[in-house]
Amino acid sequence: MNSLKLAGIAVRNLLRNSRRTLITVLVSSAGFAALAIVAGYMDFTFFGLQEMTICRGFTSSGGTGHIQIFRKEALQKEEHYPLEYGIADSEKLQQAVKLNKSVIATMPRIEFNGLISNGEKSISFLGTGVDPKKETELIHYWNALEKLSSRKLMDDSVYKKLETTSSNGVLLGEGMAKAMNAHVGSSLMLMGTTVDGAVNAVDVTVAGVVRSSMKSIDRYYLVTSLETAQSLMQTGKVSKIVVVLDKTSNTDIVRPLVFAKINASGNNPEFSVIAWDQLAEYYHSIRDAYRIIFSFIGIIVVVIVFLSTTNTMLMATMERVREIGTMKAIGISNLWISFLFLYEGFFIGLMSICGGMALKIIFSSIINNSGFKMPPPPGMSSSYLLKIFFAADFLPWISLLILFSTTCSGLLTLFKIRKLSIVNSLTHV
Amino acid sequence: MNDRVIAKLVDVSKYYGSGEGRVTALSSINLTLLRGDCVVLVGLSGSGKSTLLHLLGCIDKQDEGQIIIDGIDTSLKSLEQLAFLRLEKIGFVFQSFNLIPVLTAYENIELPLLFKGYKKNSIKERVDDVLEEFGLHERKHHYPRQMSGGQQQRVAIARALVTQPSLILADEPTANLDSQTGAGILDLLIDLNMKKNITIVLSSHDSVVLDKIKTVVHIRDGRIVHTNISTC
Repeated sequence: MNSLKLAGIAVRNLLRNSRRTLITVLVSSAGFAALAIVAGYMDFTFFGLQEMTICRGFTSSGGTGHIQIFRKEALQKEEHYPLEYGIADSEKLQQAVKLNKSVIATMPRIEFNGLISNGEKSISFLGTGVDPKKETELIHYWNALEKLSSRKLMDDSVYKKLETTSSNGVLLGEGMAKAMNAHVGSSLMLMGTTVDGAVNAVDVTVAGVVRSSMKSIDRYYLVTSLETAQSLMQTGKVSKIVVVLDKTSNTDIVRPLVFAKINASGNNPEFSVIAWDQLAEYYHSIRDAYRIIFSFIGIIVVVIVFLSTTNTMLMATMERVREIGTMKAIGISNLWISFLFLYEGFFIGLMSICGGMALKIIFSSIINNSGFKMPPPPGMSSSYLLKIFFAADFLPWISLLILFSTTCSGLLTLFKIRKLSIVNSLTHV
Repeated sequence: MNDRVIAKLVDVSKYYGSGEGRVTALSSINLTLLRGDCVVLVGLSGSGKSTLLHLLGCIDKQDEGQIIIDGIDTSLKSLEQLAFLRLEKIGFVFQSFNLIPVLTAYENIELPLLFKGYKKNSIKERVDDVLEEFGLHERKHHYPRQMSGGQQQRVAIARALVTQPSLILADEPTANLDSQTGAGILDLLIDLNMKKNITIVLSSHDSVVLDKIKTVVHIRDGRIVHTNISTC
């Protein structure tokens, strides 16, 4: 049997009751569009979260950058004293890393903690020592992200203030500033442990009050210059080097090259080179949650599409009982007749994909131009503009899902067709 | 088995329903049809004519007895095998024509050939020949709704004939036609029987049919009450 011929008959059968076919296609198209829009929103969210993780981060350590370099032991062993496994000659390492063309910045950082006091009250802090000039590269990277046109641009002036504050400037989280009753220009004292285990203190001046990406860390958030942190800890080491690339998609290509560059050949590499996604627990937990939500929506939509198409198919079967009986009588097997219905389901699926794509583009465009602001996600401090991405990676899968669902609905007719008695079908009115 | 025998029914019975409501549609039917026979089944409504045609056409199964079509015992065959047997050896003509409405005359006729696995060129040749033979060439691209009853029945006969079956079964083929058109259709079937030596079995109430076809099987209450074997 010529399959094209059978396909042609299927199309004519669909056109025979065009209104019913149209309604079925509209339901399936709406299903496709719903899934594609959710996928577009997910894609936007994942991309936004990814770049937020890289540029701002969701911990007190700030943005992860694309790659981070640690001494190998820092990830494997517990330190007996601060920065026991810190990087001693960070400049040399940075020079080596910068040789890669995709690297646009390298930023040494120190992670430290201790107490901050205003003379009357002391609270604990989680601090990061940074090179203010280099940190602005991450802000410039964020501000240059074209794909995330709806993002709030970051201001690098706080780092400039940190740089220009003459005596040991610090940036405090809003929560911490409030708790310490501090404002720009206030004098405070940082207390911490040196690398020798002694207690040390330095006087600092508040250079700025910032809002971190997570409300929960705002009360402990403190950023100071590398020099201040090193002077508190009495060391020249840094905890890690953060590497910023020209684009996130280059991470997997550059990471092994950087690893090879900074580690002498042999079985015992000195440094570990970690990609941003291995450091981003929050990103992964959000992504997993979205995937579960998407799967549920997907199942519901597919069931609706399946039921709608099945209804159409069964109605078509009932309407064409006499025809089916005739075909069976002249010797056409149940299998071929079922194929006819499978084709009809398949074509409904194809039409639904086209219709769904059109609906998706129309609604995405309306949403993207509406300026609709989403409330801050749980635990985060700022709202954001809703955008629906094209979601090219998801669309083939959604198409397959819809096609599978509509085609499978034709399968139910197979049982119906098999059960139909030829004699009764021929006299069916 | 005699090569001339195209269909043989041995003690065939068919019942509908079960228990006390069981109705006997056919009871112990014995009938042998030879190649080239042209037979009309006559009887009142509900006498069992259509049931006998359905059993001969392998679209229904007997409850008792044996039906042999062209040497093949149908009781031993699966549904798919019976479908293949119908495609190969049996053509059907129905009272209400039963053409597929979304297909043109040409496509309705080619339908069984497509499922028999014929090549495209061979199909075209055969269908064109049949269309020509039945005077339907002008109507080949017409859909059933665009044709008269007589034309539709000619297309239905062409569809039954195009696979070159050994047996054509026609269930009251003239019942939905006016007398003149009906007579034309009947002549066409008789002509096919004579020229192509195809066995034709039809059921009818029509007196014109009885005038033209002399081999008659009278059925009453599911039993053959009278037959006369002769050539039509």
